[in-house]
Amino acid sequence: MASKTNESTVATGHAVSRRTGLTASIVDVGYRTKDVLTYSSAYLVFIAMIEVLTVHAVLSLPVNPAPVVVGLVTFSVYAGDRIADASSDEPASPERSAFVTRHRTLLSVLTAIAYGVAIAVSITGGPLALAITLLPGAFWILYASDWLPTLGAYFKRLKEVLIVNSAIVAGAWAIAVVGLPMAFADASLTPLAGVLFGYFFLDTFVNTEIPNVRDVDVDEALGVSTMPVVFGIRRTRRILYALDLLLVAFVCLALFSGVLSVTFAVAILAGLAYALALAWFVGRSDAHGRLAIAGEAKHLVVFALILVLSAGI
Amino acid sequence: MLLPTTTVVLLLYASVAIGVTAAVLAWRRRPNPGTGPLVWLLVGQSWWSTCILFTLSADAVGEQLLWTKLGWIGVMIVPVAWVLFALEYTGRDERITRRSVVALSVVPALTVLLALTAPSHDLLYVRVIDRAGDGLVLIEQGGVWYVVAAVYTYLLGVVGIIPIVGVLSSRAAAFRGQSTALVVGIVTPWATNVLYNLGILPSAGIDPTPIAFAVSGVAYLSAIDRFRMFGANPAPTLRAREFLFDHIHEGAIVVDENGTIVDINETAAAVLGLDVDRALGTPAAELLPTDGAFRTDGGDDDFLIVGSDSTSRSYDVTVTGITDRHGRTLGHVFTLHEVTQYLRQQQRLTVLNRVLRHNIRTETNIIYGYADRIGGRNADTIKRHTTNIVDLSEKGRDAIELFEDAMDGDRTQSLRELLDACLDDVRERFPNVSFRTEYPEADPPVSDVFGVVVGNLLENAAAHNEGETPRVVVTAEVDDGRLRVRVADDGPGIDEYELGVLESGTETPLRHGSGIGLWLVKWGTEILDGSVSFERNEPTGTVVTVTAPVAGSDGIRPDVP
Repeated sequence: MASKTNESTVATGHAVSRRTGLTASIVDVGYRTKDVLTYSSAYLVFIAMIEVLTVHAVLSLPVNPAPVVVGLVTFSVYAGDRIADASSDEPASPERSAFVTRHRTLLSVLTAIAYGVAIAVSITGGPLALAITLLPGAFWILYASDWLPTLGAYFKRLKEVLIVNSAIVAGAWAIAVVGLPMAFADASLTPLAGVLFGYFFLDTFVNTEIPNVRDVDVDEALGVSTMPVVFGIRRTRRILYALDLLLVAFVCLALFSGVLSVTFAVAILAGLAYALALAWFVGRSDAHGRLAIAGEAKHLVVFALILVLSAGI
Repeated sequence: MLLPTTTVVLLLYASVAIGVTAAVLAWRRRPNPGTGPLVWLLVGQSWWSTCILFTLSADAVGEQLLWTKLGWIGVMIVPVAWVLFALEYTGRDERITRRSVVALSVVPALTVLLALTAPSHDLLYVRVIDRAGDGLVLIEQGGVWYVVAAVYTYLLGVVGIIPIVGVLSSRAAAFRGQSTALVVGIVTPWATNVLYNLGILPSAGIDPTPIAFAVSGVAYLSAIDRFRMFGANPAPTLRAREFLFDHIHEGAIVVDENGTIVDINETAAAVLGLDVDRALGTPAAELLPTDGAFRTDGGDDDFLIVGSDSTSRSYDVTVTGITDRHGRTLGHVFTLHEVTQYLRQQQRLTVLNRVLRHNIRTETNIIYGYADRIGGRNADTIKRHTTNIVDLSEKGRDAIELFEDAMDGDRTQSLRELLDACLDDVRERFPNVSFRTEYPEADPPVSDVFGVVVGNLLENAAAHNEGETPRVVVTAEVDDGRLRVRVADDGPGIDEYELGVLESGTETPLRHGSGIGLWLVKWGTEILDGSVSFERNEPTGTVVTVTAPVAGSDGIRPDVP
């Protein structure tokens, strides 16, 4: 198509061609950037950092390196997970699997550097910050790597165990997202921090199960017990509704007991309303990738609302 | 030069970042040989650096002492992991057992225990000796056990380097690069530690060894990434050589210059009825006939016969000297190649030769004589078929002689003499056929086996040519040590079916050729390490080309089965 345009002999044709070429290049770069961000899980880095900043805002913590550390660890663990599962991911996500396979060496080195830098930076926050930073990596070893099964026939990857798989992911990230900024700030544990942990734990649990709907066939074939595999997609959707509603009740309880301020409660409830709406699409939409990203993007909504409401107040 | 504390701290952070990065990369390369211990090594050195950083950042003296003590965990993980890595990486993993790991870990475990219980004894003390103005606390460590731990650490460092240095001389550039990076990676912190302990290296009260681990981390990363440490691994090399020696079909015995058996494989032990453990270290003269088949100067040509009567086995014993790089003899390797089947086959061929040469001819002569007495058409038919039987038996005898030539050695004659002899024979037997020859100027020696090949080609070209003026053209050429003989006839041509059977290399009751002549051509050229090709001649007939090395050039040798 480009060569046909270039065949034009008039000067304006050249200008149009250049504009068309430039537009095509920009679009191409845009698509490539989107591929890199989604397939490498780099977009999750941004969302994880927003989650940590939300904790900063809610707990009124001073700015510290926690968002950077969580971002680096997120990239390292998620991209590392995709490298490890590149071949088994192929049936469900062929494009992502091809991307990861093509850039395996680069991604492997980048994720290793990311974890190395994250650990080094976390040391500035003290032993607790270091321990919390090590936690997602340690959980990943138990969760996804094949190390645990090598210990004996009774052990299998925690990724294959129903509820435990999503709970361990949710636990690791809830501790990191809430605990790391507190460790850096040397803040003491408060009921509000407990509420935030509960919120992030349940919310991450739900977000972990959403992509499992897409992977149901592959997971079943590989013997990975997820909610969609065990309960079916319709019942999984209902469970996700129930978990989101449980979270609404939990936030309301925190609000009425005075632990959570109105501003933050409103922002979180708005985010949960958004999550409930998304849960309706689970199993009804074929845009699985977008649905998963939309689920993660809820934290952007919550953070934006916190900023707006805080500024307004 | 004394490094400023901030620079030291930055370098410590760098060593942690690099160490963890290398550990993650090594972890992902599991289960390649060496990955597990290398991860532990990198974790150990990173932990050591981390503890120093926590010591520097701690406010309370007690906390600073605690982190200094906890740092000993990393300090003592490193040497044990290094030795295990070196053994695994170089393929000596059979030495890594639960018992050996526990044994290696005794001193490190005691060291950590003594460090953590430091105030209650002086074997390994960790105490504050000074406080600088900027709050920096100078901590002194020492005691008898400190020396023990240091010596043990250096010892394991050297023990680990030895097998790695062995890989430095590898022919593979990747292995040389890997081992160089590994040696740099381990020598840098060790040298730093030695200089620190000797008080030669100035430091701000901080053990600079973990800082040197930043260099180690870069070296290990280079080994992993640039030299593909876990993509190209020398571990199988040693095991493969051991495997070959232990499991090779031939028996092998290694005798040193003093005549002591220093190695023997299972096959040799089984053949000679020896117990491997007992044989090792025993003078060879006590167990082997060193004045017979096992003479280091090559001995006689007799085979080694083990057992008696029908159960006996025969072995061809070959001796090879082992020399160092200066050509000095270090010992000898005796290899035992079983030739029982070969000798039995030779005996069978001898009997068959006698049957074909003598018995068949005698019996057919009698039949021929009686048929001559009877006379008439039937007698002529009997005589014709009797002659065919004689011809076939002679072909069979040719085949046996062909194999005997191959077994007994390579007898030669000049090319011209050989071709003339073959042509005289066929001219006499086929007087109606016209033979034309083109010889080369050179007259190189050729194997007698070539006579069987050319003789059968000429016979085949003449015997089946029923034209009015049958012609056979024989062309010989010598080029670059190879002889090419081309036999072209104007007969009906060789049947494609016959050539197909020949090409398949075997016959079955349902698929076979009509004679043995072409098989003799094929077998003969194979023995000569040559080749034979068949082409259609224009307008009729076949062109057969045989190519083989001339005698004395590389490649021509008796092909002993």
